[in-house]
Amino acid sequence: METSKIDYKNVYYPPGGILLWIIIFLELITFGMALVAMVYYGNQEPDLFHESRLLLNVSFGTINTIILLTSGFFMALTVRQIKINNKLKAKKLLIVTIIFGMLFLVVKAFEYYAKIQAGLDLSYNTFFTFYWLLTLFHVVHVVVGLVILSTVYSGLNKENNETLIEDSEASAAFWHMCDLIWLLLFPIIYLIF
Amino acid sequence: MEKKTIYTWVTLLVLTVISGIISTQTSNYIPIIIILLASFKFIGVAFDFMELRKANVFWKILVLSFLTVFNTVVLIMLA
Repeated sequence: METSKIDYKNVYYPPGGILLWIIIFLELITFGMALVAMVYYGNQEPDLFHESRLLLNVSFGTINTIILLTSGFFMALTVRQIKINNKLKAKKLLIVTIIFGMLFLVVKAFEYYAKIQAGLDLSYNTFFTFYWLLTLFHVVHVVVGLVILSTVYSGLNKENNETLIEDSEASAAFWHMCDLIWLLLFPIIYLIF
Repeated sequence: MEKKTIYTWVTLLVLTVISGIISTQTSNYIPIIIILLASFKFIGVAFDFMELRKANVFWKILVLSFLTVFNTVVLIMLA
């Protein structure tokens, strides 16, 4: 495994790599603009957005935030173990990260099922159009993140390990991006209206 | 290093629970407090979990600028 020091102070080498950080900013700007649009429409129809917000289960949102932050915490620990070449511990921590990521999807599935059963689908009203589009788009990122983490795990499992620190850091940065996006979505969709 | 990350993680969880609890209160200041708490969490994840504190100042400024612009626009619209 590559254990050479990376000069993070160099502007071209942020932790995770410059390409990943360009993607992170593009994603944050995209979600950010959609959330600003949601707040704008919320100002146009405050009563509808307030009543619709009350139809959401804040407990589901809070639990999912805790799950995703916990997953991010274990991901951070995983990268640190990879950096000191402790493959065994890194693999265990990565599995915990993946399990929490999957748990996020399970809770989301329960939440979506309840909404669909109640008839609160994409076309129900403006609030739920934003709710479905933003949260589903985020779920897609979580699924992609889980696939990436699985490939890192499989790389760590190989005898002839070719997983570089940069690879794990880039994967971790993508996974943390899902946290960052959720931290923008959660207060606006679940709490403020 | 790990101890600091554990503190960050616990703080993030506490802030999340506080956000959930105060969202049930009715006051004009609640959305502002919720957005500010979310910003602290955002900074915690970016600077500790993503190790941005080790990065060049350019990236730190970029992240903080995004957060400032986003929060300012949202809070102005909510006001």
